[in-house]
Amino acid sequence: MSSHSTAENYQGPPHVHHMDAPTAYSAAKLGMWLFLATEILLFGGLFAAFALFRWMYLEAFEHASQQLAWGWGALNTLVLLFSSFTAAMAVEAAQKGNNQRVFRLLAITIGCGFIFLIIKFIEYRAKYVHGIWPSSAEWNDPQFNAHYKSFFGLYFCMTGLHALHVILGMGLLAWALRKARVNRYSKEYYTPVEVGALYWHLVDLIWIYLFPLLYLVGHPSWHTPFGH
Amino acid sequence: MSDTQHNTQGDYLHNPSGLWSWVTTTDHKRIGLMYLFTILLFFFVAGISALIMRTELAHAGPDFLKAQQYNVLFTLHGALMIFLFIVPGIPATLGNFLIPLMIGAKDVAFPRLNLLSYYIYVIGAIIAVIAVIPPVETLSFLKSLGFTGPADTGWTFYAPYSLDTGAAIPWMVFAAFVLGFSSILTGLNFIVTIHKLRAPGMTWDRLPVFIWGSYATAVIQTLATPVVGITLLLVIMERLMGVGIFDAKLGGDPVLYEHMFWFYSHPVVYIMVLPAFGIVGEIIPVFSRKPLFGYKMVCYASLAIAIVGFFVWAHHMFVAGISDFSAIAFSVITFGVAVPTAVKVFNWVSTMYKGSISFTTPMLYAMGFVFLFMVAGTTGIFLATLAVDVFYHDTYFVVAHFHYTIQGGAVIGLMAGLHFWFPKITGKMYNELAGKIGWVLVFAGFNLTFIPQFILGMEGMPRRYFDYLPQFQPMHMLSTVGSFINGFGYTFALLNLFYAAMFSKVKAPANPWNSLSLEWKTASPPITENFAETPIVTEGTYNYGRPVEGLAH
Amino acid sequence: MFNFMPEQASEIASNIDWLNSLILWLSVFFTVAIVGAMVYFAVRYRRRDGVDHETPRIEGSNALEAVWTIVPTVICVFIAYYGVAFYAQMREEKANALEINVWAQKWKWDFEYASGKKTTAEFYVPVNRPVKLIMKSRDVLHSFFLPAMRVKRDVLPSAYNALYFTPIKTGVYQTFCTEYCGMEHSGMLATLHVVSQAEYDRWVNDRSEEIALSRVTPAERGEKLYNQKGCNACHKLDGSSAIAPSFVKLFGRNEQLADGTSVTVDENYLQESILHPNAKIVKGYPPNLMPAFEGQVSDDEIQALEAFIKSLTTAKQEQAAAAPADPAALAGMSPADRGKKLYNEKVCVTCHSLDGSRIVGPSFKGVYGRKQKITTGQEIVADDAYIKESILNSAAKVVEGYPPAMPAYQGQLSDAEVSDIIEFLKTVK
Repeated sequence: MSSHSTAENYQGPPHVHHMDAPTAYSAAKLGMWLFLATEILLFGGLFAAFALFRWMYLEAFEHASQQLAWGWGALNTLVLLFSSFTAAMAVEAAQKGNNQRVFRLLAITIGCGFIFLIIKFIEYRAKYVHGIWPSSAEWNDPQFNAHYKSFFGLYFCMTGLHALHVILGMGLLAWALRKARVNRYSKEYYTPVEVGALYWHLVDLIWIYLFPLLYLVGHPSWHTPFGH
Repeated sequence: MSDTQHNTQGDYLHNPSGLWSWVTTTDHKRIGLMYLFTILLFFFVAGISALIMRTELAHAGPDFLKAQQYNVLFTLHGALMIFLFIVPGIPATLGNFLIPLMIGAKDVAFPRLNLLSYYIYVIGAIIAVIAVIPPVETLSFLKSLGFTGPADTGWTFYAPYSLDTGAAIPWMVFAAFVLGFSSILTGLNFIVTIHKLRAPGMTWDRLPVFIWGSYATAVIQTLATPVVGITLLLVIMERLMGVGIFDAKLGGDPVLYEHMFWFYSHPVVYIMVLPAFGIVGEIIPVFSRKPLFGYKMVCYASLAIAIVGFFVWAHHMFVAGISDFSAIAFSVITFGVAVPTAVKVFNWVSTMYKGSISFTTPMLYAMGFVFLFMVAGTTGIFLATLAVDVFYHDTYFVVAHFHYTIQGGAVIGLMAGLHFWFPKITGKMYNELAGKIGWVLVFAGFNLTFIPQFILGMEGMPRRYFDYLPQFQPMHMLSTVGSFINGFGYTFALLNLFYAAMFSKVKAPANPWNSLSLEWKTASPPITENFAETPIVTEGTYNYGRPVEGLAH
Repeated sequence: MFNFMPEQASEIASNIDWLNSLILWLSVFFTVAIVGAMVYFAVRYRRRDGVDHETPRIEGSNALEAVWTIVPTVICVFIAYYGVAFYAQMREEKANALEINVWAQKWKWDFEYASGKKTTAEFYVPVNRPVKLIMKSRDVLHSFFLPAMRVKRDVLPSAYNALYFTPIKTGVYQTFCTEYCGMEHSGMLATLHVVSQAEYDRWVNDRSEEIALSRVTPAERGEKLYNQKGCNACHKLDGSSAIAPSFVKLFGRNEQLADGTSVTVDENYLQESILHPNAKIVKGYPPNLMPAFEGQVSDDEIQALEAFIKSLTTAKQEQAAAAPADPAALAGMSPADRGKKLYNEKVCVTCHSLDGSRIVGPSFKGVYGRKQKITTGQEIVADDAYIKESILNSAAKVVEGYPPAMPAYQGQLSDAEVSDIIEFLKTVK
C-alpha cells in the first residue's frame, strides 16, 4: 500500500512497500497489457458472432448495414485517431516531466471522448426515431426481418460495449490528468499516463475494426453519408 | 492503514488486529483466508443440495420433490459448485496465500486489486444467491427487480431454454459474469506477480510446481473468461431486448451459444485441476524425501495442458450437430490432453521410488488423488473417443467422469493442500488420527457415490433426470448411500481442521514437514511482511536426498 | 464382467461395444499397474520407526520420460483411429434408408412417415432396413438417444439434424431425451418398435384413424380441436367467460384492442391470435393468460379452427357441447369413473394436473382433504363443500399463489355431476 501521508510535496514515484519503483512500473505495464488481452478476447466473441451471422445471412446484413450513416462513423474514426495521437503525445510529455503539457493533452483527449459519445448519441437517436431499437413496436413486429434483429442487436451490443469502454477510458485518463495537476509526473514516474494511454489506444483500435465491419463492408450508401 | 504504523514483524493473523483491519486488508494471506471461508460456505450449501437430490433419486418415482424443484436443485448445485466454489477454489485461497510466499515476495503485484477481486466475488455471490432463492411474499420487491424465480437451466444456461424459462436467468447469468470478472483480475494479478516479483535466484526452472500450475491456471483465467463474459452478456441482451443471437425464433443460432460457452467452460476445468496437480507435486516429494521426478516435464505438461485445453472445447458438442469433420478434428485434439496428463501421473509415482515415505494425512490425500485421477483420466479416454462418446454423451457416465476430475481432482487436491499447509496458515497442528479417519470416509464415500454412476452411464441412464426407469434403481440406491458417507467425510475432515485452528494448543514449528520450499523458511504463521529479509535462492526447490552421480540424466 | 451396456440391437452396436471394452481393459490395466506401483513403493519404501532413511536424489530420466510420452501417444492414436472409423460408419447414409421425420417438443416426440402416418411417443421401423431420422425441435434443444442402437443426436430448433441406424433385432426399445429441456425432461420418453417388414407394412398403412378424421368437415374437425386443445376452457360459447372473448359471432366483428386500435376479426387475425396470443389483446381481457400455440398446431388445424369459428357466426347460436354420452353407459360407471370422464370433458385437465405438477391451477393430486391457504390468508380444508363451491363459483376462495383464472361452472354442471367429480378427486392420491 502506498503511503500518501507525506506525498504532498514528494515528487518521485509513490512508495510501494513490496517492490521497488522500476518493478512497480514494469508490473503495472504488464498488468495493463494482460488486461488489454482480456478486452480483445471480450470483443473477440462479438466479432466471431458477427462474422458467423454475416456469413449466414449475407444479404440481410448487407442491406441492414446500408442503414448506418457511414459519415458519422468516419467522423468518429477521425476523432478517435486524433485523440490517440494526443494521448501518445501526453505520454511523451509525462516522460519529460512536463506536467502542464500532460494536463492540456489529456484534456484534449478526454474532450475527443466526449465528442465521440455525442456523435454516437446522434446516431443512436436517428435509429431510435426510425424504430430500429430493441423492444420498440417495430422491432417486436413479426414482420421485422429476424436477421435485421441479429444485425442491429450485434450493432448495439458492439458499439454500446465500445461506448462503455470509451467512458471507462475517459475515467482512467481523468485520474491520470488529476495527477498532472499536482505535478506528480517526472522522468522517474509517469505510469498512470502510460497505462491510461495504452487503454485509450485499445479503445481506438477496437473502433478501427468496428467501423469498417459495421459501416463499410458491403455497399454503403455513399451519397447519404449522414443517413436520411 | 499506513504500514509504518504497525509492527511488520508480528504474525499476520494478529497484526494489525481488529475486524476492520481484516475487511480492508490488502495482505494476500488474509485475503486468501477470507476467500477460503467464503468458498467453504458455498461448498456446504451446494453439497447439501446434492444430498437432497441424491435422497430424491434413491427411489424411482417422485418422492418428496417436484420435478421443477429438482431442476432448480441441480442448477443450484452446479452453479454454486462451479462458479462460487471450485473456480476460485484453489487459486484464490491457497494460491493467494502461497504464491508470494513460495517465490519470496512480500505480496502480490497489485494488493488493492486483489482485495477488489475478493469484493467483486462477494457481490457476484450475493447476486447468485438472491437469484436462486424461491420467490417469497415478504420479498416481493425482488420480483419487480427481475428475480422471478430460481434458475432451472442447469449451470450451462443453454439457449434457447435459458431464454424461454420464466426464471431469473438474466440475474444468474449476470452473477456468473461478475464472478468471471473477479477471476480475470485474480489471474492477471498472479501472472504479473510470478513474472515480476520472484526473489533473487528464483529462476523459472527453480519455481515450485505449484507456482507452475498456478501460472498455467492464471493464463487460462485471463484468456478464457472474457469469452464466456461476452457470451453471458449476450444472453442477457437477448433476454431483455430480444436481439437475435442464440434464439432460433429470432434468427439466432443455439449451437453458437454452445461454442462460445464451451470455449471458456472447457478450459475452466483446467482452472480447477491444474493447481491441484501443483499441490500433489509439492506433497509427494516432501513425504518421499525425493526430488520431484522429471520436474521439467511436469512443468511443461502443465503448460501443454493449458494450451491444448483451449482447442478441445467442441468435444462437448459431438452430437450437437457440428460437422463430422469438426467432430473428428476435436476428438483427435482431445487425445492431445491425455498424453501430458499421463506424463504427470507417471512422474508422481516415480518420485516415490526408493523414497522414505511417511503416511501423513496430506500424503494420503495425494496418493488418493493419483488413484482418482487415473480413473478420471482413463474415463476421459472413453469420452474423447468419438464413436463411444456418442453413446455416453449426456449420460451418468459423463456426470461420474466430471466428478472424478473435479471432486476427485480439484477438491481432493484442495483437501490435501489444506492439510499440508495448515500448520503454516494457522501456526497450529491438527489431530492426525482424525485427519486420517476423515480421509477414509471421503475416499470410500466418493468412490461409492460415483462408481455406480459409471455403471448407470453404461446402462444408458441420461443425466438431469428427475425420475428414472426401474431398471436403474439399484445403482441409484448405492450412489445415494455413498453420497451421504462422502458428505459426512468432508464435514468431519473440515471440522477437524476448524477445531484445531480455533482450539488446538499444539503450536506448529516453522517447518514441520522438513520441506525445502521457501514458504517454510518463515515463521508459522508467517509475519505480515512474509519474510524479515528478502530470501536469496541458490538451488532448486526439490533437492531432497543424497546426490547420486550419473543418475540425474 | 463389466458389461452393462444395453442389448446390441443395431448393426454398429457390436463395434462400439468392442471399442468400449478395449478402452475399458486398457484403463483397468494401466490403473492397476500405476496404482499398484504406487502402493508397492509406498509399502516397500515406507519410513520405519519414524526416522527417515537416506534417499537417492534421482531427478528424472529422459529415457523413461520418452517411453511414457510415446507409449500413451501410440495407444491414443490407435483408439482415436477406431473412434473415428466407427463414427464414420455411424454417420454413413445408406441408399435405401427409411426416412422418418421426428419432431421434438416440450415434452413429447412426434413421428411423421412419408405415407402420412403420424404418431406420438412411439414409432415403428422394419428390421434390417437402414433408418434415417430427420429431426427438428419446435422449441428448445432436445436430444434423441436410442441406447440399444448406440446412437444419439441433438435436436435443434434452428436446423435439421439427421440420425442413422440399422436395427438388426426385432423388439421394443426405450428412447430418451438427453438434452435438458425443462420441467418434464425426464418424462420425455418414446418407444421404438422394431418389427418384421410385414408387420411394419400393416402398421404404416393402417390409416383408419386419419381416414375417420378426413371424413368430417373442417368445421367439425375444428370443433373437435376446440375441445381437445382446451380452447373451450376459456372461450365459452355462451358468453359466460370474463377472461376470454366468446367465439359466437366473433368472425367478421370489429374488435377494440387494448392498445386503443381496432381490428376486424378475419382469418389472419385469428391465425395470429392462435400463434401469438399477446400480439393483439381485445380490450377488457387480461394479457399473458393464453399460451402461444406456435409450433403446437399445424396449418390444417388452424384452418379447421377458423372454419369452426366462422360456422358460429353463420349458424344460429348453439351450445357446442360434445355429443351427449349414452345415458345407459354412464349409469353403469362408478361415480369416480364418471368424474374422471367429466374431468377430461369439462377440460379441468388443461389447468389441473393429476401428477402433482403445476399447470395453471393447483394439481388435483391429493387435493381432497388437503389443507391450504387461500388468498385472504385464511386456511381451509378441501372438503366436499369447498370443492363444490370452487367448481360452481370458482372466484370465491382461490388458493394462494394461483391466478383467479378459472371460469365458474354454475349452471353448467348438475349437482350429480359435481358429486361425481368430487368422488373422482378422492381417488387421485
